[in-house]
Amino acid sequence: MKDIYEKLKILAESAKYDVSCSTSGSERKNSGKIGNTVGAGICHSWSADGRCISLLKVLFTNNCVYDCQYCVNRKSVDVQRASFEPEELARLTIEFYRRNYIEGLFLSSAVEVSPDYTAERILKALRILRRDYDFSGYIHAKIIPGADPRLVELIGLEADRLSINIEMPTEKSLKLLAPQKTTKSIFAPMKQITDTLIERNALKGPGTMFKGLELNEKANNYLLPAETNATRNSLTVKRHKSKEKFAPAGQTTQMIIGASGECDMQIMKTSESLYKTFKMKRVYFSAYIPISNSPLLPDAFSAPPLAREHRLYQADWLLRFYGFTADEMFDEKNPFLDPYLDPKVTWALRNIERFPIEINKASFEDILRIPGIGTTSALRIVRQRRVRAIKYEDLKRMGVVLKRAKYFITCSGKYYGIKSMAPDTIRNDLLGIGNEHQISMFEESSTQLTHGGNPWDNVGKRNKDIIRGN
Amino acid sequence: MTEYIYDATFEGFLCCVHAHYYSGKASNILPAEDCLQASLLRTVEIKTDEEKADIVYRAIEQKISPFDLRRVYRIFLSGEKGKEMQLLEYIRLGFIKGKSISSYHGNPTVRNAELLEKKVTMEAHRLNGLIRFSVLEGEVLYARIEPDNNVLELLVPHFADRFKSSPFIIHDLRRKRALIAESGQWYISNFAIEDVECFAETEIEYRQLWKNYFDSIAIKERTNPRCQKNFMPVRYWKHLTEMQ
Repeated sequence: MKDIYEKLKILAESAKYDVSCSTSGSERKNSGKIGNTVGAGICHSWSADGRCISLLKVLFTNNCVYDCQYCVNRKSVDVQRASFEPEELARLTIEFYRRNYIEGLFLSSAVEVSPDYTAERILKALRILRRDYDFSGYIHAKIIPGADPRLVELIGLEADRLSINIEMPTEKSLKLLAPQKTTKSIFAPMKQITDTLIERNALKGPGTMFKGLELNEKANNYLLPAETNATRNSLTVKRHKSKEKFAPAGQTTQMIIGASGECDMQIMKTSESLYKTFKMKRVYFSAYIPISNSPLLPDAFSAPPLAREHRLYQADWLLRFYGFTADEMFDEKNPFLDPYLDPKVTWALRNIERFPIEINKASFEDILRIPGIGTTSALRIVRQRRVRAIKYEDLKRMGVVLKRAKYFITCSGKYYGIKSMAPDTIRNDLLGIGNEHQISMFEESSTQLTHGGNPWDNVGKRNKDIIRGN
Repeated sequence: MTEYIYDATFEGFLCCVHAHYYSGKASNILPAEDCLQASLLRTVEIKTDEEKADIVYRAIEQKISPFDLRRVYRIFLSGEKGKEMQLLEYIRLGFIKGKSISSYHGNPTVRNAELLEKKVTMEAHRLNGLIRFSVLEGEVLYARIEPDNNVLELLVPHFADRFKSSPFIIHDLRRKRALIAESGQWYISNFAIEDVECFAETEIEYRQLWKNYFDSIAIKERTNPRCQKNFMPVRYWKHLTEMQ
């Protein structure tokens, strides 16, 4: 018992920097002895850092042959090493699961011996869990870049969700910080997973980004060359043959924020292209936490850029659920998000000529673009309009945040904001500052940003002040 | 105006709605257990009558909608005082507006109903994750909860499917009732057993392992207790293995 206690400690601590813990996207009744999955996902606990715990998130081993600069488990660092036995891990998962501690397993691994060796060990553990224990709960498996495509497919047949970490927002930083990983070895399995999902008519895509589009029609998908009727038929046959589902919750990835010099625009453009190319369910961001003294990385005393991570997630939501594109959020002059305002407000202020929007007439898509209105309140607005016009007092009860929305709407023709529609005036009013005390940083930043003026450099240690519900 | 007292069952409540329409407007509706002092108002005890309950049940289903019937039932499971009058208001508005009632999101009565219902369904959803079973001798799973709302029934579909091959008991200490299930069959009944301490041999070890995991997975540099408490309110900690 002592032994497994130590192992679990080491292998959980080395897995904790993987962000994703979601258990959504897969809906399955219990077809075995134990377990099911719920479409919306279920969180089971929240750790002291406020992140949810829903999966037993561990590395299979932290014995790594790679030496990535940003990683706690890199070969050159002196840490305790441990590995699970496949049976031992399966048993632990089941014992945790039946006590309802967890929703399933998130299995990642350092690269031990070789990518294929590691992938085989992961597959073995998943098979014990699925077959010997008849487990129908959630499994998220990490794909090791460079593993044999056949192994990727077999792991996909056991797992609900797959992920391969892109690690860095650009190829340049990847080369610099993870010299043994190549973009090719990362993108190849991503493409394989998407192709397999299309073959099985099971690709769903992120959020509402491709709503109404048939992603599994090959003609709509530029990943695949046009096909003939003959190949289509052969694919149909294959579909019927395979009863097992392949990664029904799709794939995700994650990148580290703030370890390399990218601007927010590059980060969001990379995310957007991952959504468009691979239709992945999510791109996660992980604020870099200084763990090594490499000269290539931020120094060991810098605070993790949590405020920046938060704003990037907000921007990511705009991509996936609100119909925005990265090009709308940034341009060459404004390559960073505003630390003090949410990205939708920033966009609205830059496009002030589109406002105010009339709540009682605008389309659903336009309402979604109003700051302070989320998907739920937008849906409520559209629903109530069918039976009764919306009054300004109704909006608060519908969940609209009027503090932000009031500058951008009219309700039956009446405007409730301030006298001026000048972006600077609205911005100051929103932040509660008088016109005479404008924050000078933004005046400078709008001209300096492209020359390396990163607004996040100035706010790194004041995360709490920045996010106050704006 | 009359104050109605009922037996705290859903059918009893529906009979109060019936009485409101046919015997005299309700100024208040109270479950018997809450009505210790004699009120100055005219107080009438409503006897639960299946036929009357059925009439109201069908009226809500047909004249408003099945969606709103489900909503009414879920709100009835709420532990909030005064839910009965809020429900009556919603039902009255529903008989006027018909099936479109739930679209009036800006109406205060509808908004209140939405919020009450959300509290109930939210707690049930939360408990799907926050319930902690202990393995007892004989491989029975046993969990204790003290929820704000009477959510036992809402937990059935999820847990009965998930743990269909092992017997389990979810014990609501506050209401002294338990959900008891085995191989997909289940029932809810009064449950008075105070001490269930016949744990399986390895139970304590797995609790330790879980606590150990819980502590190891947090990133110290990101410590954020407020965020943790927002998602996992302190009132649930009492029965959470990892927070002991």
